[in-house]
Amino acid sequence: MSPLIQARDLSKKFGSHVALDHINFAVQPGRIVGLIGPNGAGKTTALRAVLGLTSYDGALDVLGREPFRERAALMREASFIADVAVLPSWLSVEHAIEFVAGVHPKFRPERARALLAKTDIAGHRRMRELSKGMKTMVHLALTMAIDARLLVLDEPTLGLDILARREFYDALVNDYMDETRTILITTHQVEEIENLLTDVLFIDKGRIVLDCSMDDIAARYAAIAVSEDELAAARAEQPFHERPMLGKRILYFERPNFERLAAFGDVSTPSVADLFVAKLSRGVNA
Amino acid sequence: MNTYVWLVKREFWENRAIWIIPAAIVVLLTLAALFGTIEATFFDSAERTRSMAGMMFLAFGALFFAAMSLYSYWYLLDCLYTDRKDRSVLFWKSLPISDTATVLSKLFLALVAIPIVYFVAADVASLLAAFVLSVRAHSLLGNSLWHPDVWLQLQAVWLYVIVTTAIWFLPVTGWLLLISAWAKRAVILWSVLPPLAVILAERLFIGTHVILRLIGVRLLGYPYRAFDASGYDANWANGSSPGLPLGQPSAWRMLDPWHFLTSPSTWIGALFGALLIAAAIQLRARRADY
Repeated sequence: MSPLIQARDLSKKFGSHVALDHINFAVQPGRIVGLIGPNGAGKTTALRAVLGLTSYDGALDVLGREPFRERAALMREASFIADVAVLPSWLSVEHAIEFVAGVHPKFRPERARALLAKTDIAGHRRMRELSKGMKTMVHLALTMAIDARLLVLDEPTLGLDILARREFYDALVNDYMDETRTILITTHQVEEIENLLTDVLFIDKGRIVLDCSMDDIAARYAAIAVSEDELAAARAEQPFHERPMLGKRILYFERPNFERLAAFGDVSTPSVADLFVAKLSRGVNA
Repeated sequence: MNTYVWLVKREFWENRAIWIIPAAIVVLLTLAALFGTIEATFFDSAERTRSMAGMMFLAFGALFFAAMSLYSYWYLLDCLYTDRKDRSVLFWKSLPISDTATVLSKLFLALVAIPIVYFVAADVASLLAAFVLSVRAHSLLGNSLWHPDVWLQLQAVWLYVIVTTAIWFLPVTGWLLLISAWAKRAVILWSVLPPLAVILAERLFIGTHVILRLIGVRLLGYPYRAFDASGYDANWANGSSPGLPLGQPSAWRMLDPWHFLTSPSTWIGALFGALLIAAAIQLRARRADY
């Protein structure tokens, strides 16, 4: 199957600042890809390029289209939620449904209404009368009612409390996701989406530093906790990152010899968040 | 096409001032007609009162037109700016609507929809005032308000003004859209300062005032291009002046479409306006600093 998104040599500069530095990546259909990186790494720029919101250098193919030139056509097949609570304050819930139904050929208003019926948000309410969490649920209902081949979520839950975040992801998992959906998502709360993801892309300083499926992470990466007296021996296996933990040290390995590592104790697969920290820590092996 | 209908509806949902302001003016004028003191001197002839009635309606129209100009100025500056400021542009851009369609829908509002709302409001206000005055005054003035030809002329003047101002002020419209699509803040200042700076710079460094004259002609020259001033003097101020058929005060003679449509500055300006609108569409697509 050909990828839904294919970026080759994708670059973007803002003045002298390089936001994206000749990156390459592909997103295959049916995958749920987490784009993960620190602030200012280029996540949002990459997503905006994919969505046609910004111009770029290099080649970018999204659903067979060139996003910046064909944004309107692309948006018939792709949908996105960028940032939290961006629905305009003057718009009422029912007008929002009517409007999207009017302009979007793949929007099913009855589905949006059914999704909202599960919440206690009344149709006549204007966005300014809703809490940030409620606005986010309205936006999610609108987006989930679009039969899109690609859904892009850029920090969709930033600044929401834990209840609202949980509600958001529960709705996404239970009412939207199936094997035909492809999702590209960025978030600061990696732990909350870790078990949804099928792939991760780490981005730092405008470059892709890790492009890997979740299955490959287990095959490629290992973490062990060692005590001080074993440290020298364990370091001989060439960890790429260490950190202290309750009197022990956690060592992270890429493509290690798993049998030899097992001699030091339980070998575990690092979580995405740990791997992210390990990969991106400045001053590695500190 | 369907998309455009929804885009226009959207504008009415967002900008309720489009109809609230003219409705408020209708209410105020009707109250004035109901409770105001009528101080008009009654003329001795039906022709003069008819001319007087025509002038009253034109004054009504001018009031609505002035309010509309101010509102449209604000609307154009605001329309591509607010959704960037509150970041709701990220929602609008997630829908299959091109930036061209978005900008053209705002242009349609400013050039067609808003003027029609004000046109209808001016008609309603005139009808209400005419009705109130004829009941209150039982007078020549009251009766002379109900001449079909006066009404017909009023409609014609309005339509003529809507069409000709849309063309004549297109560079101003385009400039305001451009600022609205571009500015990060202070849209009103940005709409005024660059032209002022250019005028000053030209004066300081070159010593000429070509730009000042161009802008001046554009802002103030509309009546001279679109209307025949001699027609105004002869018909409306002196309804019974000799040499004109009595009882036929006519707005038709005031309108000067030939002069307007054959004036090169009309079309050079319109072309410049179209370029500015094209630039606004490009900025709408490219500006991504929200």
